[in-house]
Amino acid sequence: MDASLILIYLVAVPLGIAALNSLVPPLLQKVFTFFGLAYTIVLIYYLFLEPAASLSYMDLTLFTVDRLGLFVLAFIQLLSFIILIFSLHGLDKANEKKFLLLYPLTVAVCNGVIISENILLFIIFWGLSGLALYLFALLGQTADTPKTAKKTFIIIGGSDVFLIFGLVAMRFLQPGTNWSLFGLHITLNCELAWAAFISLLIAAFAKAGGFPLHTWVPDFSKDAPVESAAFLPASLDKLLGIYLLARMMTILFEINVTMHLVIVTLGALTVIFAVMMAMIQHNGRKLLGYHAVSQVGYMIIGIGSGCVLAFAGGLFHLVNHTIYKSNLFLALGSVEKQTGSNDLDELGGLGKKMPLTFIMAIIGAFSISGIPPFNGFFSKWMIYQGLLEMARDLTPAQQIWLLICLILAVFGSALTLASFLKFLHAIFLGKRPAKYNRIREAGINQWLATGLLSALCILFGLFALQIPLQKLIYPVLVESGYPIPEFLGTYNPLLVLGLVTIAFLVGIIVYLATKNVRYDENYLGGMPALEKYRITGTGFYNEIRNMRPLQQFYNAAEKKYFDIYDLGSRFTFSLSGLFQKGHPGQLQLYVLYILIGVLVFMMLIR
Amino acid sequence: MILPLLIIVPLLTAFLITFIGGKKDTAAVILTLFAVTILLCMSLYSFIITGAQTQTYQMSAWAIPYGISLVLDPLSGFMMVMIAIISFTSALFSIQYIRHLQQDWKYYALFMLLLTGMNGVVMTGDIFNLFVFMEIALFAAFGLVAFGGKAEEYEAAFKYAVMGSVSSTIILFGIAVIYSATSSLTMSVIAQRLPLLDQKMVLWVGGLFMAGFGLKTAAMPFHAWLPDAHSSAPAPISSMLSGVLIKALGVYVLIRFFFNVLGAPRLFLTLFLVLGSISILVGVFLAIGQWDMKRLLAYHSISQIGYILLGLGLASPLAIFGAVFHMFNHALFKSLLFYNAGSVELALGTRNLKHLGNLSRILPVTSGTSMIASLSISGIPPFNGFFSKLVIIIAAIKTGHPVYALVAVVGSLLTLASFMKVQRYGFHGEKIIEKTVNKVGWSMNLAMICLAVLCLVTSALIIPGIREAIMDPVVNVITQKSQYLHVVMGR
Repeated sequence: MDASLILIYLVAVPLGIAALNSLVPPLLQKVFTFFGLAYTIVLIYYLFLEPAASLSYMDLTLFTVDRLGLFVLAFIQLLSFIILIFSLHGLDKANEKKFLLLYPLTVAVCNGVIISENILLFIIFWGLSGLALYLFALLGQTADTPKTAKKTFIIIGGSDVFLIFGLVAMRFLQPGTNWSLFGLHITLNCELAWAAFISLLIAAFAKAGGFPLHTWVPDFSKDAPVESAAFLPASLDKLLGIYLLARMMTILFEINVTMHLVIVTLGALTVIFAVMMAMIQHNGRKLLGYHAVSQVGYMIIGIGSGCVLAFAGGLFHLVNHTIYKSNLFLALGSVEKQTGSNDLDELGGLGKKMPLTFIMAIIGAFSISGIPPFNGFFSKWMIYQGLLEMARDLTPAQQIWLLICLILAVFGSALTLASFLKFLHAIFLGKRPAKYNRIREAGINQWLATGLLSALCILFGLFALQIPLQKLIYPVLVESGYPIPEFLGTYNPLLVLGLVTIAFLVGIIVYLATKNVRYDENYLGGMPALEKYRITGTGFYNEIRNMRPLQQFYNAAEKKYFDIYDLGSRFTFSLSGLFQKGHPGQLQLYVLYILIGVLVFMMLIR
Repeated sequence: MILPLLIIVPLLTAFLITFIGGKKDTAAVILTLFAVTILLCMSLYSFIITGAQTQTYQMSAWAIPYGISLVLDPLSGFMMVMIAIISFTSALFSIQYIRHLQQDWKYYALFMLLLTGMNGVVMTGDIFNLFVFMEIALFAAFGLVAFGGKAEEYEAAFKYAVMGSVSSTIILFGIAVIYSATSSLTMSVIAQRLPLLDQKMVLWVGGLFMAGFGLKTAAMPFHAWLPDAHSSAPAPISSMLSGVLIKALGVYVLIRFFFNVLGAPRLFLTLFLVLGSISILVGVFLAIGQWDMKRLLAYHSISQIGYILLGLGLASPLAIFGAVFHMFNHALFKSLLFYNAGSVELALGTRNLKHLGNLSRILPVTSGTSMIASLSISGIPPFNGFFSKLVIIIAAIKTGHPVYALVAVVGSLLTLASFMKVQRYGFHGEKIIEKTVNKVGWSMNLAMICLAVLCLVTSALIIPGIREAIMDPVVNVITQKSQYLHVVMGR
């Protein structure tokens, strides 16, 4: 197939499906979308065979795909296909039609962002992807939906304008590029270049959910339909945001070490702030939403560090995150669809009722917590190594700075594990409330989707080097002119798997040999414990919430002192109030304004 | 000749309505609809056949410089099309909307007079004639603002009348100075003679006109009349005022006078830039704090006019294209937003955002079109507002004014925020509203759908090819400053 045609199809096929979907009933919508997205996966396969595709119109290059683009495209198609499988049955009936209309549309515009070489097309597709996010947010059914949709789009749509400013400024900083995104290479040596750099950083951070523009992610995760939480903030928006960041770091800008360190610091702050917030959540989706932010921190650290190994690790972490985080969202979604709740205080003991979902959730939780041999460990480990390597060439002061960031990141990983123990315990373990005794396992499409994602978690963990790194990520490095990185330590996933298996087997042997377990009812004051004394998974973490120095931090966070959206709106409304004081409706005052205006003009002309 | 007809038709309709519409209001409705349809066809036709040419018409066959001439160049034609589209949809929207206010015929008569005034202003080649048409439009507007008959509407109309008269006085003063210096009122003759005169005097007249027409445009600090007047008027009139009146009497005259007559002096371009930026920022800050939907929209008119002035002040062909394009787009989406507010007010009896909720079930057309309009004004692709703002930002950076580009960026962000507020409280709020006071009829829905479709379709004006055919002649009139004088005098 002609490569430039593939590029058009990547946008046109899902777009056509969306157009068709506006006319047909939900069942046909599902059929069309399923086959359409399956077809785009085939297209990606063809692109792999012929990777240097581009499409021009007159003297403008509109679409190009390079290795980085291809890498991101592949995962956009894969994730949207798997999440679609989950959505085939069990969507919220009220919004099913709209959801299935928006779904292929979103895939089309996200593909459009990645393949656009023309700056203006890139801006348009980027804006459309933000619009799609807003429309998904409006489909939510919770009481906070209107608020969340508004917040989401103000942050995302607002950052788009900065993207426009930044890219246009870059276009004129480097004339002669004819609106090509890939031809730009800006050195930060004047104010406008700095403004452009910061603008693009704002856009990338807002989209991916980096600190301090992350606050829409937890809210969106809580209030939007759960499929769209897995689809957008956990997968596609991460891919787009980090794609932009990777482009900035590889071709768009030439930045110095201090700036690299600043970005690494922002990443580390993202990790630690978000994970601290995640720990104290009582709403399962919000917890996952905060983790979706916290994991972005690792990607930002990796990609922003400027070290090849960490860069590759950042890209690897990106896809790992999209896989395990959508897995976790969907697993929670399965639970929610069976029980009607996502409140960690209410749920409990569902492991026996929903064993498949439980296993998938465990795999997802272990991956995100960075437990070897799952995929999350491998990419985090690459990032840590990259930071150590980066530290070699720094001055002592910078080394200490970097070390602090590294410690924060590692600490964040430990807290992630803590937080997911709570998540697993609160939903699947502990005593099951009586009302959930008749719960059954999730539908076949749901555990099939989570199963596929879990399989990917294991596959990418065990064969990290062979499949994702060598096949997908190393070509990106080669194309960007980087060397293939060398690993510092030795880590062999299969060996680790072997060791873990041996340890596990030994454990089972010991258990069987000394099997002496007594099952009893819980008693409280000599009576069988009542339902209301059930110990929930969130209970232990109230200690952390009330710990001395942390308490102030959490109180401030709950008052939204760290939320840039909230701070911005307070500032805006106070300024608005100030201006409104100047408009009390008095005619005399208004005429005075006119006279002052006329006088100023006359003085200027004098 | 089609030129005088464009003024005669609405004027005649206005008088016909007063003669025969007194008893039967339906006659007034039919006459108005008939007239606006004809005007829409005629202005489209004249815009298309004019192409890049200029037509002139000498009234009573008195040649320049003795008589009054009408001039239809691409810019005037473009303005006529804009006025015709908005007045057509407004008339459509009024059929049901005005019924609850009684004495429809008076409304329609004033409506046609408003139209007469605007058409006259954009077509006349004589500056005093322009003043007269402007006053016709303004007096009709004063009446229409007060048409609801409530106390605050009279108050708003009164304020509007006082401030309008102040500005008219300033303008008349400027015209008198010009007449005494050049002995002519024909704009092309003035343009010819002004370069020979004392430049200080020329700048002084410019200052007077800047203040006078700045007030009609509602640029800061001459904006204070607008929020009261535009929010008190009946919804279709608000959309006429915000959508086209401030542009026909304000922006258009500023362009005509400062570019074609004065030849765009540097000082005034800088003033355009500064006033534009202040209007963008202060307007949007004032808007975001409002809870009355129409008042919020009215403040946004100030802010959006700022974008137009910014584009004009940058004065590169691209920037002018952006300004003209944005002017047209703003007419479409702002009128649509006022229709939305009107239909909400009619259906629920309130336009206070705090009392609204989820309207998507009871008013599907209104909430759907309001979403499109909100996205357009916030500059979200693929709607028209995105492209015109994009062009203005590109032009600002290209001409070496990145700070003004940043002003546009921040303004756009805050515009988005305030329209998210409108959507969040007004159309997709928590409270699900089940009952309406009045039903929104088909004519109102049709008017809203027309403009919503146009909000999407006019994005095509950016496409190379279409842009050259439609927009470039308009932009050329503005950028080739003295061309106007040669073309008009050439006949």
